[in-house]
Amino acid sequence: MKRNHRRSRGLLSDYRPLPRVHDELFLEDGSPRPAVAAVARALDAIEEGEFRTRQRLADSVFHRNGITFSVYSDQRGVERIFPFDLIPRVLAPADWARVARGLDQRVRALNLFLADVYGEARILAEGRIPRELCESSAGFLPSLRGVRPPGGVYVHVAGIDLVREPGGELLVLEDNLRCPSGVSYVLENREVMKRVLPDLFATAHVRSVDEYPTRLREALLELGPAGPAHSALVVLTPGIHNSAYFEHSFLARQMGCELVQGSDLFVHGDRVYAKTTTGPSAVEVIYRRVDDQFLDPQSFRADSVLGVPGLVRAYAAGNVTIANALGNGVADDKCIYAFVPEMIRFYLSEEPILGQVETLLCSREQDRARVLDRLADHVVKAVDASGGYGMLIGPRSTREERAEFAERIRQNPRGYIAQPLVELSTCPTWAGHDTKARRVDLRPYVVSGRTTWVLPGGLTRVALEEGSYVVNSSQGGGSKDTWVLETEAP
Amino acid sequence: MISRVAESCFWLHRYVERAENTARLLEVNRLFLLDVSLPELQRWQPVVVVSGERERFAEHFPDPEAQNDGELVQTYLTWDERCPVSIVSSAYWARENARVVRDAIGSAGWETLNGFWHWLRGGSGRRLWAFDRAEFYLRVRHAASLFQGVCQANMLHEQPLDFMRLGALLERCGQTARMVDVKYHTLGPTVRGIAETPLEAAQWLALLRSCSAVEPFFKRVRGLPTGAAVVGFLILEPDFPRSVLHCLDRAERFLRRLRPAAAPEVGRSSAELLAGLARGLRAQSIEQILAAGLHEELTRVIDTSAQICDAVYADYFNPTLAPPPSASAAMHEP
Repeated sequence: MKRNHRRSRGLLSDYRPLPRVHDELFLEDGSPRPAVAAVARALDAIEEGEFRTRQRLADSVFHRNGITFSVYSDQRGVERIFPFDLIPRVLAPADWARVARGLDQRVRALNLFLADVYGEARILAEGRIPRELCESSAGFLPSLRGVRPPGGVYVHVAGIDLVREPGGELLVLEDNLRCPSGVSYVLENREVMKRVLPDLFATAHVRSVDEYPTRLREALLELGPAGPAHSALVVLTPGIHNSAYFEHSFLARQMGCELVQGSDLFVHGDRVYAKTTTGPSAVEVIYRRVDDQFLDPQSFRADSVLGVPGLVRAYAAGNVTIANALGNGVADDKCIYAFVPEMIRFYLSEEPILGQVETLLCSREQDRARVLDRLADHVVKAVDASGGYGMLIGPRSTREERAEFAERIRQNPRGYIAQPLVELSTCPTWAGHDTKARRVDLRPYVVSGRTTWVLPGGLTRVALEEGSYVVNSSQGGGSKDTWVLETEAP
Repeated sequence: MISRVAESCFWLHRYVERAENTARLLEVNRLFLLDVSLPELQRWQPVVVVSGERERFAEHFPDPEAQNDGELVQTYLTWDERCPVSIVSSAYWARENARVVRDAIGSAGWETLNGFWHWLRGGSGRRLWAFDRAEFYLRVRHAASLFQGVCQANMLHEQPLDFMRLGALLERCGQTARMVDVKYHTLGPTVRGIAETPLEAAQWLALLRSCSAVEPFFKRVRGLPTGAAVVGFLILEPDFPRSVLHCLDRAERFLRRLRPAAAPEVGRSSAELLAGLARGLRAQSIEQILAAGLHEELTRVIDTSAQICDAVYADYFNPTLAPPPSASAAMHEP
């Protein structure tokens, strides 16, 4: 009897949100949030046994379609799927509309900042951002001063990481303006979701994400030096061993262009060519997923075999559009992050729509003293790290770890920032036996050509381990389909 | 089309073709041996030879009796990763190459190969092999047919597909030539067109079967499957998809499509070699070939096929027009 009862339990029947944490689907009293209640009810109507079957089906689809990232330890490398949780993360239309406006504003300001920093540098001259902070950034490329990319666009694709604090407001946690990845999972998650839980879509009106590749292609081609009709576009990948190779290949396929490696391209007379079966063929637009430092052995790391010798010369000569532009790292430096609200005021004369997390710069003496004094209350991050590495979560750290970080901060104060720990919001997530509250973040994608477009939703990453705050795929994170609803529920 | 991508396309379909061929060869031989009595050495050893694995096999299994051990030969040619033409190796390399050029072959083609690989490597392929070997080999062949069909039906009929088909056809041409050559070695003296023993007839039939040629053969040829008729069919029949000449004809067509009209110098050497080989065969009857020496003719076919591959490489995959010479080679070979 008991077993039968368990088996027919609804998916969310026993779900309890955590105290004092915002839950994406439920209010603290356990009732669904009104704006997304219809989805909550539809989810609860799925009984657990059925859900398990669907989850297994989803996993097998990911494997069969080869939506994997590889961990090459031996010749027959291990391929893993990015764990996918079938319970969607749902965003109410009004909530999202504000976020989309805020993202648009933020990316416009960041783009103007980059144009300024590599141009007149007004914002530094006027002292709104400390010059030495900017120029000491690892991502700042002084050799590119005065090089203006086509259309003045630097940030063709931005991935802005958002987290929701207990009060319910979505805050910007960090900006990714170089090669933000993950968008292929957004598109594939949706495909799989439609395949394994089609009925759920009948009750909710979910905004489509299909447009992304077309929008990206349009944005890239309209910035091509030869105009959209005559510019050849390629996606440049570091190669099959890169963990995001699937995504590079996916985007090339979806945009109908060639996927190339550095060795497939060469520069002659400051123009870029691809080595093709019928000889050299001109390339005008490169959507690159190779980091700045590896892009051109003549300009940056001489030992790079991933790049194209002479590419920077061709870029500086205005013969090729490179997306994202070179040198963007200065704008997503975690120190510079603290000044983005200032950029919005300076360049746009607007107040920031999106809030962000209070940030202490260890390079400032009084900030550093505060951080070192109360390390256990802060999250400390290396300014140029990503993927959840180079990070200390103070409240969950050991004494030894804190001592080690304190030393690192003293050695290299410019290299670290500190923020209070944000109590990330949770979302109901399948935990193998039942549904539990797990913490999530959100990475929306913003595409800019001559105009800016925000993909509805984005990638929701979820910390699958109980109590964990780390959502990165490299560290036990998974993902969810992100639903932006079309209309308010009645 | 990017040269590196073209090279992977060319090879990946070859590997698929190779997996199919190995599967067919093993299955036909297995069934054939069930109800004939052949000397030990003629049972499995020819299969090892056709696969071009005589030396490597002897290296791994120095016991001279090993090549007569049917189970061992089948395991080696199906599952052994050390064997570059085993089904598992072919599937692996087909998939690895496909993974690199997934954007060129399209999602549908990729998913077919990936699904095949997971089936093969996961438990279900192994279990089926142990439980119902005929079904196992059939599945391998179906996977290859599915891949080819999915690609033809979904890809643009342009360069990537042309290179894939070219690779598959050259592989197939070589396979048929080798298969005939080895059989001829075993049965050589009987290729006279005169009455043969039942055992010989059964062997010629098995050769047809190894090339999936039984039904097509009897549609075209009235009378007994004599050595001359079978060999003639497998080499010269223009309409049989696995005959040497058919493969060469089709390969010529794809090479023609690949050569840019605007730049006639591109692809010249591969096209000329291929045309020469096909022309030479077309000019002869099977009787003339047999009289002049079948083995010599087949050796010429196999050697020239290898030269054509080298020429395709030089013409398309390593274009000299593009300085600097590429440092990183394409994926492709075991």
